[in-house]
Amino acid sequence: MQLEKPKPPSALRDALHTAALALLLVPAATQAQTAPTTANTSDSPDRIDVTSLFYGEQGRTSIFEPVVRFTHLMQDGQSLSGQFGLDVITGASPTGELPSGQVQTRTSASGRTITSSAGTLPTAPFSDRRFAFDGDWKKPWGRVVTSTIGGHFSREKDYQSLGASGMIATDLEHRLLTITIGGGVNRDTVFPVGGTTAGLSSSAIISTASNQKSVANVLIGVSRVMSRRWMLAVNASESHENGYLTEPYKLVSVLNPTSGVPLTSLTEKRPSTRTRSSVMGSSVYHFTQDLLYSSYRYYWDTWGIRSHTLDLKYRHQFDDTTYLEPLLRFYTQSAANFYTGGLLQGNPLPDFASSDYRLGALNTITVGGTYGLRWNDFPGDWTVRAQLIRQSGNSSPPNAIGVQRRFDLSPPVNIYAVVVGYSFGY
Amino acid sequence: MASPCSVLVETDDRAEAAELLAIAEEEARRIELKFSRYRRDNLVYRINHSEGRPIEVDEETALLIDYATTCYAMSDGMFDITSGVLRRAWTFDGSTRVPSRHSVQRLLKHVGWSRVQWSNPTLTLPAGMEIDFGGIGKEYAVDRAATMIAQRTRSSFVVNFGGDLFVRGVRRGDRTWGVGIDDPTRTGESALYRLDATTGGIATSGDARRFVVYRGKRLGHILNPKTGWPVEDAPRSVTVAGRTCLEAGTLSTLAYLQGPRARTYLEELAVQFWIV
Repeated sequence: MQLEKPKPPSALRDALHTAALALLLVPAATQAQTAPTTANTSDSPDRIDVTSLFYGEQGRTSIFEPVVRFTHLMQDGQSLSGQFGLDVITGASPTGELPSGQVQTRTSASGRTITSSAGTLPTAPFSDRRFAFDGDWKKPWGRVVTSTIGGHFSREKDYQSLGASGMIATDLEHRLLTITIGGGVNRDTVFPVGGTTAGLSSSAIISTASNQKSVANVLIGVSRVMSRRWMLAVNASESHENGYLTEPYKLVSVLNPTSGVPLTSLTEKRPSTRTRSSVMGSSVYHFTQDLLYSSYRYYWDTWGIRSHTLDLKYRHQFDDTTYLEPLLRFYTQSAANFYTGGLLQGNPLPDFASSDYRLGALNTITVGGTYGLRWNDFPGDWTVRAQLIRQSGNSSPPNAIGVQRRFDLSPPVNIYAVVVGYSFGY
Repeated sequence: MASPCSVLVETDDRAEAAELLAIAEEEARRIELKFSRYRRDNLVYRINHSEGRPIEVDEETALLIDYATTCYAMSDGMFDITSGVLRRAWTFDGSTRVPSRHSVQRLLKHVGWSRVQWSNPTLTLPAGMEIDFGGIGKEYAVDRAATMIAQRTRSSFVVNFGGDLFVRGVRRGDRTWGVGIDDPTRTGESALYRLDATTGGIATSGDARRFVVYRGKRLGHILNPKTGWPVEDAPRSVTVAGRTCLEAGTLSTLAYLQGPRARTYLEELAVQFWIV
């Protein structure tokens, strides 16, 4: 109940009128000119985001990756951002060789001896540190066109990547339609520890020089607001890779053609060009408070890999500061045409061969979620993102030979990833 | 301004008309860019993301804040530029969905101009609170554009930004500009009233298209900053004529917030009004 005596109405009208006149009588020129300059002297709209990724593949790789991102917004709509990330990777990755039924011993490039127990997929231990720096500059041109240019540099023990990208987005039909066109180039250098081996050889070092890999990509995207609640987007991209595309430490087993016992192993070899294409459709539907994201992506490349990705996310807003966003993702890919479980002793060597599981037939299911919250009276937003990924391939391919039929050639791998993020402005 | 905008000038000089239109357009865009809460590159965004830190504002923003402060004081807190956060709880889509009491209560903690420290030119907004000039920005833009046009022409004109307008002068032959007031159920199709406007502002508050239905009652999109709920039993639309568009707009909003008492309220104010 309002117990205070209501103010006399005429006083209200007069007060409003006086206040409105005070506002309107400032010369127009002053307003227009003072606006941008004086606003610049006020608080700097800087923002810092900190995230930490903890990633683990059961019995294989684990990654710890802290990332710091700094964003500076400028008065005229421009923004500059820089991101620094550090990855600490440790663990073991499958070498590509097949299990033998016996203990297998190999000597690595650095002279270390690696032993795999009988019947398990051989893996090679590794540890690496990678740091990455990304920067981008976004600038509006008038009211409907925005350009972004970016740069990227990353380096680890045996790999360096340098890239640049550019993108232009324009809003049409009263901002209901947005068209984005972009492209980028990357110049990567691979310098395998110990030198580069010849493809499909028994690790013969043929060069100690570094190897180049270049990537160029283009993308086009269209997004359209269909109704007050629904937005649809379609994107297409194509990328051309050229140069040293082989994984320097991956191996292919050579098997006894009848018993299936691995006799030796050879380095893998991949073609030196690859064109990757994808198209993706996505939809965002806004319920009263909640959001449903869904997307489908089809990917194909000149190595013969085809993949389908279906993504579903539902964001439930508990109140203005807390939300939960469960995620479900299905991914399936077919094998590259030079993917092989193992080569047979005595057969002529193919032009290309790889047993890298990432080039084989693969299915993954991802279940996860994001929980976002903000504490009252404490600045900034927190997010916790957790995902469990179950990856499986073809455990018993029909063409497995001899002892290989007894082993699980593509044991399902459980991968977990947890990301903790904190974002605040200052 | 997210709505159709027009400028009518009674002149035989086409170039003059084009120039005046360009002035109005530029001014409208400038104000929209500067005060829109939908942009991430303006002062309003920085104020709303200041997390409790003091922000120094420019002279124009300071004057608008002063105006809003006057409105807050004169309306016993019914006109509050910090009430925009309440919109997060509501979606006025014509459905019957209303937010939970809990979510509205939580948002109400972040509403209240009296909790803001304003000492020209420094504004300190407690973390979690937001300001929004949406309730006065369009009317302000109308008045500014009209002021600028008036400095350049002696012709009679109308500046109309989405139904909030300012009229100056009588047309040739002592005719007036006719302004129609919409039938809210048939926006843009039929006018219920026709007013003869001379110099001054005209503005309308109403729920023409954005509403929810709750327990059989239609609730419009204008929220009461004290309860966090739409005003019940409010008129469909309230149109007020004032000396400026800002004055007219503020009065029509305040009257609308009175709900069933809108008519009495405006009668006491002794202003020209039309209620549908």
